Amino acid sequence: MNAPVISLNDVRLTLAGNAGPIEILRGISLDVAKGETLGLVGPSGSGKSSLLMLMGGLEAASSGSITAFGHNLTRMNEDNLARFRRHHMGIVFQSFHLIPTMTALENVATPLELAHAPDAMARATAELATVGLSHRLHHYPAQLSGGEQQRVALARASAPRPKILLADEPTGNLDTVNGAAIMDLLFTLRDQHDATLVLVTHAPELAARCDRIIHLHDGQIA
Amino acid sequence: MSLRSALRIAGRELRGGLSGFRIFLACIALGVASIAIVGSIKTAIQNGLTQEATTILGGDAQAEFTYRKASPDELAWMHSNAEQVSETLQFRSMAVKKNDRALVQVKAVDDLYPLYGDITLDPEIPLAKALASNGFIAERALVERLSLKIGDKITIGTNTFTLNAILTHEPDNASAGFAFGPKIILLTESLKDSGLLEPGALFDSAYRLKLPPQTDLPNLQSDAESRFTTTGLRWTDRRNAAPGIERFVRRMGSFLTLVGLAGLAVGGIGVVAAVRSYLDRKTDTIATLKTLGATGNTIFTVYFTLITLMGTLGVAIGLALGAAIPAFLGPLLASKLPVPALFAVYPRPILEAALYGTLAMFAFALWPLARTRNIKASGLFRAQTSKANWPRWPYIVATFFIAAALVASAAFLTDMPTLTLWFAAGIIASLFILRLNARLTRFLAARLATKLTQSRPALRLALRSIAGPGGEANSVILSLGLGLTVLATIGQVDANLQNVMRSELPAVAPAFFVLDIQQDQIEPFTQITAADPEVSKTETTPMLRGILTRINNLPAEDYVGHSHWTLDGDRGVTYSATPPTGTILTAGTWWPENYTGEPQVSFATEEATELGLKLGDMITLNVLGRDITAKITSFRVVEFRDMGINFLMVMNPAALQAAPHTSIATIYAEPAAEGRLLRNVAGEFPNITMISVREGIASAAKNLASLAAATRWGALATLLTGFIVLIGTAAVTERSRTYEAAILKTTGADRTTILVSFALRSAIAGAAAGAVAIATAALAGWAIVTFEMESTYTFQGGSAVAIVALGTFASLIAGLLYTWRPLATRPASVLRGQD
Repeated sequence: MNAPVISLNDVRLTLAGNAGPIEILRGISLDVAKGETLGLVGPSGSGKSSLLMLMGGLEAASSGSITAFGHNLTRMNEDNLARFRRHHMGIVFQSFHLIPTMTALENVATPLELAHAPDAMARATAELATVGLSHRLHHYPAQLSGGEQQRVALARASAPRPKILLADEPTGNLDTVNGAAIMDLLFTLRDQHDATLVLVTHAPELAARCDRIIHLHDGQIA
Repeated sequence: MSLRSALRIAGRELRGGLSGFRIFLACIALGVASIAIVGSIKTAIQNGLTQEATTILGGDAQAEFTYRKASPDELAWMHSNAEQVSETLQFRSMAVKKNDRALVQVKAVDDLYPLYGDITLDPEIPLAKALASNGFIAERALVERLSLKIGDKITIGTNTFTLNAILTHEPDNASAGFAFGPKIILLTESLKDSGLLEPGALFDSAYRLKLPPQTDLPNLQSDAESRFTTTGLRWTDRRNAAPGIERFVRRMGSFLTLVGLAGLAVGGIGVVAAVRSYLDRKTDTIATLKTLGATGNTIFTVYFTLITLMGTLGVAIGLALGAAIPAFLGPLLASKLPVPALFAVYPRPILEAALYGTLAMFAFALWPLARTRNIKASGLFRAQTSKANWPRWPYIVATFFIAAALVASAAFLTDMPTLTLWFAAGIIASLFILRLNARLTRFLAARLATKLTQSRPALRLALRSIAGPGGEANSVILSLGLGLTVLATIGQVDANLQNVMRSELPAVAPAFFVLDIQQDQIEPFTQITAADPEVSKTETTPMLRGILTRINNLPAEDYVGHSHWTLDGDRGVTYSATPPTGTILTAGTWWPENYTGEPQVSFATEEATELGLKLGDMITLNVLGRDITAKITSFRVVEFRDMGINFLMVMNPAALQAAPHTSIATIYAEPAAEGRLLRNVAGEFPNITMISVREGIASAAKNLASLAAATRWGALATLLTGFIVLIGTAAVTERSRTYEAAILKTTGADRTTILVSFALRSAIAGAAAGAVAIATAALAGWAIVTFEMESTYTFQGGSAVAIVALGTFASLIAGLLYTWRPLATRPASVLRGQD
């Protein structure tokens, strides 16, 4: 196995709920190797999305440590986490999460601009062409179908060429045909850029395309 | 579905409480409250003036004359009708204490004064004692100006007077006109041999009548007018004791009501935004109701009922505030006002405010409400297009009629229909321009966003947000822009007026106006001023007053067919053998230098045109009770604004020379010479009154400033409404900002970048609102200054910069108030909630 790009050591996540604290993740230890594709599967509420959020620095662990490319994410403040993602990570969500006031092109260009890429627009245009949306550059998210929105989200995540791609049920809101197309695109992009992919999914056939599958149950690795 | 079902659903919708309606309520309540407050204060003053009428007037009725006392006939008539007649004389003079001088307003009274009300002095001694043995009382301003102590002596004319008390309350002060200097009161008999009431002296006399209780005032007035009006008698009685103040209060109140209506219009934008945002959140509910069988009518009824209930609550809160604030602050306000005011809860202004508030609420809420009919059941499964869809035509027509009813009510109730219509047109035009500006701003933002360099991601994000759909730029520019437009217009007009008074006049204005120069004093007077090296010019001219009573043997008003200021009381008239220096004749010829024939008159061209006068017309002037009929033989240019000596009418010398009169003069001098001139001239001629033009302008500017302050307060209330709408807009966008911040953090934006981006979009929208407010205000200011005030408009940059800065700052503050949560929230909690 290659050296791990993401490493989790006894990670726990407890969130406050109306009826008291809820233990979402309970002592997760895990290494993700460079170039690996890892599928996270498990029933609803098992904590797989939360685990992905922790890997992306979008959620703070209650205890334990998470390192990515040797950087301890649990010790970084929010701004440093944002800058880290800017250079190393691309994230795709089930609900796309495009900025509604920006066109498809502007959505894809945003992470490049934040990284001060001098050719952000040109690269964003090329990236949208890769996902087959050259004809939708200037459309706003509300003017795109679900499948198209997810393709924009994929282009946005991959445009800065991140070494880590995190995808949280990227086909969850799509029909079978669109879902399959998105998964093909996701794996193609990963292959083209030699990135590490962590994929959360309910679908066994999608998980089967990954190098390794981890089952989560009740906040623990089963 | 029946009406009952619709109402039942509306009741269920109300379970959500008022949380989505705070801004809606605040917008309506603030607008209604400000109009109710203005109306209540106006009514309080009007009632105060009515209740205290006899005290303010100083009698049940008053007969006034200019430059003369009542004739024996007139006095006899007054004594035959009144139980008591009290005479007061008023004129300007110089009070001298050793080498110190001050312009004063002298009120000479008899021992019956005051017929009504009480005068209050410090120390508390009887008035008779204070005025006995050449005593006088003075306002505190004079005591401070001349550093006087009780018992100190001053000279007025050639007589010496002793200060016995300070005047702290004068019952009939409110009916007095504008005074240049502090007031002193003394006995008329103590002015004997002072040289101040010589024939031709410029004084006003007033005779206050204490009438028997059963007196029929209208009859008495018409009797007096039929007997004496052509002799210059002016009548006032307790039915309208202070017509000037009453008119001023009414017009000011109406003007502030219009400013309040502008506030309601700004609030209306908040109402539209609040209703739209509320209904947007209800899209799924409405689509579900439609799925269950609700018709468009039912949906409209449900939400119309809800909004009406909320609107009524808003109006009620506004009315409660509008009634309570003047009533609670009444004692404090009454002590600050120079006129009597009776503070209470008055129904009429409250009802007027309720009418305005209700109409404004429906005018603004109906449009977004009517669009609920267009929501389709398919909205549950597919995002509804956010593209603006128009309501059905009956709703558009209804909105138009409600808005028209609002304007018509204001036109009728403010009693200023023309101004109201202009005002309404101005607001509609402003809204249209602001709407265009919002589009232009979005267009430019989109263009700029694609052109900017890579090094400014925060600016690009801000510009994209402004350019994109559903951004807050529209609401911010409309609400803030309209509030700023009202404030900026008042700023432009006010600054122009101040500018006229400060910078334009001193360049051409004289240093002093000099009054009461006796004929034998003209020669030595001009010698003194000519000897001063810093005096550039001295002009003297005879001064009389005359009432233009008849034109071509018809009563003047009947001939002209409308009212005109030249017919409103007495006007200055002079005589001259030759055309005064600089005279420009526009028609006719000047009389020969030694002309002694039938009286001839040269009339001001502009006013003659307004009166419809032609060469050869005969006009009759009543001068000191004597009719002089003269033929118009020339017209000439008169520029009243240059503050030199200007007369509406100039006659040939033989026509007026025999009448008792004095001369007036203007002295043009360097400011450094003013003190010296005052000492030399006033020292040599005690009866002469010198009025410093600089001090006069300062005094008028002070009065103007207090007027501007009142309108500025009204405009600030409008701006406050705009700010509340801004806060509402920012509050509505907090959720989308939090979401946007979470996504931006996910794609690598740090908090500084996001904060700067949020701040920039608020500042850009605020600056755009300010910029268009300046442009609109410049246009409105130009129209008001040019057409209403007949002055020259100059764009006031200082005021403009302040407005843009204020707009940017207000927008920034409102935007930043709702930025902390988006910045502080972790992305996962936001994005998880959306999945």
